[in-house]
Amino acid sequence: MAFTSDLDQITRAAAGDPSAVRALVNRHSAGILSLATRMLSDRAEAEDVTQETFLRAWKALPGWEPRAKFSTWLHRVALNLCYDRLRKRKESLPGELPDMADTRLAPHDALDQSQRVLAIEDAIGALPERQSAALTLCALQGHSQAEAAEILDVSVEALESLLARARRTLRAQLLEGRTSA
Amino acid sequence: MTEDRLIELIEAWGADPACFPEAEQAEARALLAARPERFAAAIKAAHVLDAALADMPEVLPSAALTEALIASAPKAAAPRGRARFPWAAPWAPASGFAALAAGLFMGVMVAPVASATSDTSEVETVIEHALGFDPAAFTEELGE
Repeated sequence: MAFTSDLDQITRAAAGDPSAVRALVNRHSAGILSLATRMLSDRAEAEDVTQETFLRAWKALPGWEPRAKFSTWLHRVALNLCYDRLRKRKESLPGELPDMADTRLAPHDALDQSQRVLAIEDAIGALPERQSAALTLCALQGHSQAEAAEILDVSVEALESLLARARRTLRAQLLEGRTSA
Repeated sequence: MTEDRLIELIEAWGADPACFPEAEQAEARALLAARPERFAAAIKAAHVLDAALADMPEVLPSAALTEALIASAPKAAAPRGRARFPWAAPWAPASGFAALAAGLFMGVMVAPVASATSDTSEVETVIEHALGFDPAAFTEELGE
């Protein structure tokens, strides 16, 4: 259903139909922005990635072939743009240690909601990039296992491994925060 | 399903068996129901993390970003006339034709009257006076 609806909107958007363009943006922009924000931990950069992703989408629309869901394709483009930016960050800081910000999560009682959210965001941002992407796609955005695996270009088994490692790290930080407080 | 496999599933996908791979959900539920105490600690730890992740607010695009994304999309091709003269109103060509038709009509209506009543010499005289000539003196000079 969504697949057919996407195709119809893509065809009309490629012809310049403003309502179809708006529908595609409304349907997909939040997911792309969310993924980029979690990956980059930087709202401005995430917005840049979102704009670049849609620019690539508009260019691809006229020759669009529905081999994959439009949403999956968009997320893959956005994810690759995030990987590029993260790589450039590392290259621009040669010799420096990776960001070792204190991402330990303080106990629930000691933090208000906004502090807790920030702590978890930091912790997700500090994960290795593929683990961060896997967690964001599955646990925060609710993509199906097959979709998330396709976006990440891995098998479902590999996705499970990424998720297990990501959750183990976050859980350890959560527990560490509790015991150290 | 082995107990170790169920622990792996809980650690990867969280406390809710509905999030496990579909092919393993039934066996996982059965094992959880059969030995709840064996998996209670794993389920509890996973649940804490699930709840923390569920509390994360949605990231929503601002209105400005939404409009920028829409503005960057391809536009429909404009009609040829409008493309060349985008500032022109759509009725501009019609008004031009109307003005032309009115001009032709007035010309046709006035021409016969003008040719029937006008006297070339009178017209010339008026023009010469207007230009400051004295037609009579001019004629005398020519006569001499």
